[in-house]
Amino acid sequence: MKFLQKINRQYFLILVVLLLLISFSGYFLLRAIIKNEIKEDIYEKEYAIIQEIKSQNNLINLYPIIETRNISKNKTEPKSYKEIYLSDEAEDETEAYLEYTNSVKINNQWYLIKIRHSLLETNDLILAIALPLLLLLVLIFSFSFLITKKLNKTVWKDFEENSQRIQNYSFKKTQKLTLKNTGIEEFDRINDIIMKMTGKLRTDYFSLKEFTENASHEIQTPLSIVLLNLEELLQQNLSESELKQVVSAINAIKRLSTLNRSLLLLTKIENDQFDADNVVVINNILKQKIQEFTPLFEIKKLKVELNIAQDFTLKINRQLAEILISNLLSNAVKHNIANGSIQIAISQNELKICNTGTENSLTDKTIFNRFTKNNSESYGLGLAIVKKICGKHHLEIRYFKNGQHCFILNRKL
Amino acid sequence: MKLLIIEDEKNLLEAIVTYLSRENNICEGVSDFNSASEKINLYLYDVIMLDIMLPDGNGLELIPMIKKENPEAGVIIVSARDSLDDKVSGLDLGADDYLTKPFNLSELNARVKAVWRRKKNKGKQEIIFSEIKMLHESREVFIHETKLKLTRKEYDLLLFFISNPGRMLTKEAIAEHLWGDYIDMADHFDFIYTHLNNLRRKIKQAGGNNYVQTVYGVGYKWTRE
Repeated sequence: MKFLQKINRQYFLILVVLLLLISFSGYFLLRAIIKNEIKEDIYEKEYAIIQEIKSQNNLINLYPIIETRNISKNKTEPKSYKEIYLSDEAEDETEAYLEYTNSVKINNQWYLIKIRHSLLETNDLILAIALPLLLLLVLIFSFSFLITKKLNKTVWKDFEENSQRIQNYSFKKTQKLTLKNTGIEEFDRINDIIMKMTGKLRTDYFSLKEFTENASHEIQTPLSIVLLNLEELLQQNLSESELKQVVSAINAIKRLSTLNRSLLLLTKIENDQFDADNVVVINNILKQKIQEFTPLFEIKKLKVELNIAQDFTLKINRQLAEILISNLLSNAVKHNIANGSIQIAISQNELKICNTGTENSLTDKTIFNRFTKNNSESYGLGLAIVKKICGKHHLEIRYFKNGQHCFILNRKL
Repeated sequence: MKLLIIEDEKNLLEAIVTYLSRENNICEGVSDFNSASEKINLYLYDVIMLDIMLPDGNGLELIPMIKKENPEAGVIIVSARDSLDDKVSGLDLGADDYLTKPFNLSELNARVKAVWRRKKNKGKQEIIFSEIKMLHESREVFIHETKLKLTRKEYDLLLFFISNPGRMLTKEAIAEHLWGDYIDMADHFDFIYTHLNNLRRKIKQAGGNNYVQTVYGVGYKWTRE
């Protein structure tokens, strides 16, 4: 539920309760006041009746308003008020009356006096007073309700804009996150906290990004120096066995460099340093990579079959897409046998790469782990990178054996 | 050929400058952005090799300056970052080639020469080594005026050798130069031998000498003898 909605709902609830309370208490108050007036009126009438009896000995009877009669001493009734209903012959309906009953002794004779006052007009009166009052109340409340609603909208406008800004913000942007000053203390306080927090996160993000880039630079540069010097050593007049030692050192340095690159790549993927800004047709990348891999296929005398059913498109960073495909292809080459084959099938939602190869103990569970390898030639990082790229792009990669080694890449449902 | 090397790591700079100066090249080295821009504003170079990450600036920002002050110069970017963005933006800015660290000196040498050839006379250049004459534009090779029929790989192999005379070239370096980055996944480099053997045979048939010296298990060397 929206904050505004919640507030309004509660506001409305309170309003209803208040309205009911005010109307009821107003009704009863008015009724009490009017009853009081009626009673006073009745007393005046009683006084007049008593005076009439005293002076004229005249019993006034004016049904249904006044009844006076003689009674014996034992029939006296105490002074009382009650509400009664009398049928009105003229209008053929019952009517409410307030009935006053009293027994008075005048000149040693007991009289019973009953004075009735119609309550119908009282109700009319109450209605006449309460209705406009209620209307006024409803009007006032609905008016203030509308005003607060309108006010809320203007107050929340800045908030909405700020939340939009936060939603659209990315750390990769060059600017810091700036939020609009709302002029409301609470909002500005949370804005301040958010801006400080994103500022800190942004610095962290950049230092991490810088670290991965610098780490690459700082490691590759000394490796370059070692490599250059080893290459120069090769140019010296060394014996064949010494030359072989130098070559083996060169190869080790190259391995180290590749390993470093792969680990940094994994870190960069984990840190989301690649923007998935392109819609990439995997078919095209596959064709391009197959071409680049052709010398390798030829060396191992591998037969490559490519079956294209449809275009497989993904929203993925182009560089990552290339890495994904080349890692899968190189895996299919590396673990293949001479004169073996690679079957590639591509459809709208799936890429399947199967290759011949020797039996291994790796399963779908272990094959994608880092540094899991079947022979010492590989680093065991290629498939870990594949898995990581898939994880970041809602893709699923599975491995299974059915005489051949197969990898299936498809969209996660 | 006059070269400018911009590289912040002094040891690496020194090694590159020493190596590239050998073949009668004039080679200057600077290790920061400011001295690099100073050199670019003052002198003309044939090839400029620049590192992207410099202590006082981004090497990529030097490219527009080079294009303005020294439009004839070939530009090779050298970077430790294996980032596609850098590569694309570098080439978009007008760089001629992009090399990722770590690299072989023989590879660098071949690239520098290739860029220089492309820039100078727009590739219309003869490369001559004793009786061998290579016409780079048409990719033709002559031995004593006899035209050789070489495959693409054989031509590239010959050019790589002639660009690096007297240098021990490892099989790995040759394979990488001719077949690209993925070739290091191959379990063996025997295929180089096949191409090399064909090349040697064709040169011999045309009456040329065999300049290739084999160091078993290591690589090959193009010698003068």
